[in-house]
Amino acid sequence: MINLKEATDDVLLKRAAKGDEEAFTVVYRRHQAAIYRFALRMTGSPWAAEEIVQDVFMTLVRDPKKYNAQLGTISAFLYGVARNRILKHRERLPREVALEVKDEDGSGPGLVLKDTLTPAIWAEKRERTAQIRAAVLELPEEFREAVVLCELQELSYEEAAAAAGCPIGTIRSRLHRGRALLLAKLEIFREAPRRVSATG
Amino acid sequence: MNCEEFALAGLGAEHDSEYSAAQEAAAREHLAVCAHCAALAESWDAALSKLRLLADITSVDGAPARVEMRLRQEFRTRNRIMKTRRAAVIAAWGLAAAAVLVGAVSWTNWRARQVVTKQDAAGAVANAKSASGSDATSMGNDSAANNLVADNLLAENGENEFTALPGAIYSGSDDAEIVRVRMQRSSLGTLGFPVNEDSAAEWIQVDLLVGNDGLPQAVRVAE
Repeated sequence: MINLKEATDDVLLKRAAKGDEEAFTVVYRRHQAAIYRFALRMTGSPWAAEEIVQDVFMTLVRDPKKYNAQLGTISAFLYGVARNRILKHRERLPREVALEVKDEDGSGPGLVLKDTLTPAIWAEKRERTAQIRAAVLELPEEFREAVVLCELQELSYEEAAAAAGCPIGTIRSRLHRGRALLLAKLEIFREAPRRVSATG
Repeated sequence: MNCEEFALAGLGAEHDSEYSAAQEAAAREHLAVCAHCAALAESWDAALSKLRLLADITSVDGAPARVEMRLRQEFRTRNRIMKTRRAAVIAAWGLAAAAVLVGAVSWTNWRARQVVTKQDAAGAVANAKSASGSDATSMGNDSAANNLVADNLLAENGENEFTALPGAIYSGSDDAEIVRVRMQRSSLGTLGFPVNEDSAAEWIQVDLLVGNDGLPQAVRVAE
């Protein structure tokens, strides 16, 4: 009898493709948090992140053969599907009106805090992160993706490149420009870095 | 290392597995002499601490439990549909295989029956030889009788276009045999049919439907 929790993703996916619900659940539980956080940080909306996670894993349910172990890890595959869903979400964003709670100043959708802190600490944390959150969300798509994958998801360049489906050099240069834009938006670095174009 | 190289590789070097100790030393050297890059590194550290804070407050445990519930429900539904579809496909193939088997058995049986029928017909032809021999004698033509024997052919066992002979009891072709004979058209007159005198001498081939009693019951002109 195989121990599902210790089985590799490939083994679990093969079992899931044959109708093993428990195997699918183990795969889901193993990867859903990272995908959810990625979607949450990319969209800034818990509602959108939830929908994206559901779409991503629905792809595995409906067509498990879409994932080819020869082409990369399941994690990279899931990030890739999530990226597409995030892009679609961004495309239809102007047509949607979020019904969730807004920030205190009424701007932008609010993020859900991990823990239930005291109101004072909660408010302080919110205030401290409001600027960086807005700055990250305002970054152009590809730069935001690089910043989120490397600085928030803490992936290595290789992992980020696999997730974004591009070469490592591209991730490195996107991150470079993303950092410059972020610093400009945060107005931390008054003297803008030389030779870095801060568009957007 | 110049400023551009430092900005590209020096910042966030912890993510770069290709970042070597030599590069790190070069970056440190560059920072010591370049105020611009030192300020940039300091600014990035400040931004990074804010990013860490954002990462910390958004490092939620994952999607709500309802997502897992929905996915499991979908998984179950898909799996049920797949099983039903698989069963339907198997059943369809099974039925097709059974139909082919039944067809093959029927064909084999039909072929076997055909062989038996032909053997029976051969026996009937042998009987007809003697009967047609007497007919030929009555016509007084030995060569014609020889031809008749030679031309006794087994026709297809069908009763299409047969005309019952006057006075004969025509009971259908189930138990009868068809015997092809060659005769002069005038001989049809002896069977009770009207004959045109102009063509009375013409030789024709007719199929006789011969009953179990050995008497002809019906006749048709062969093509």
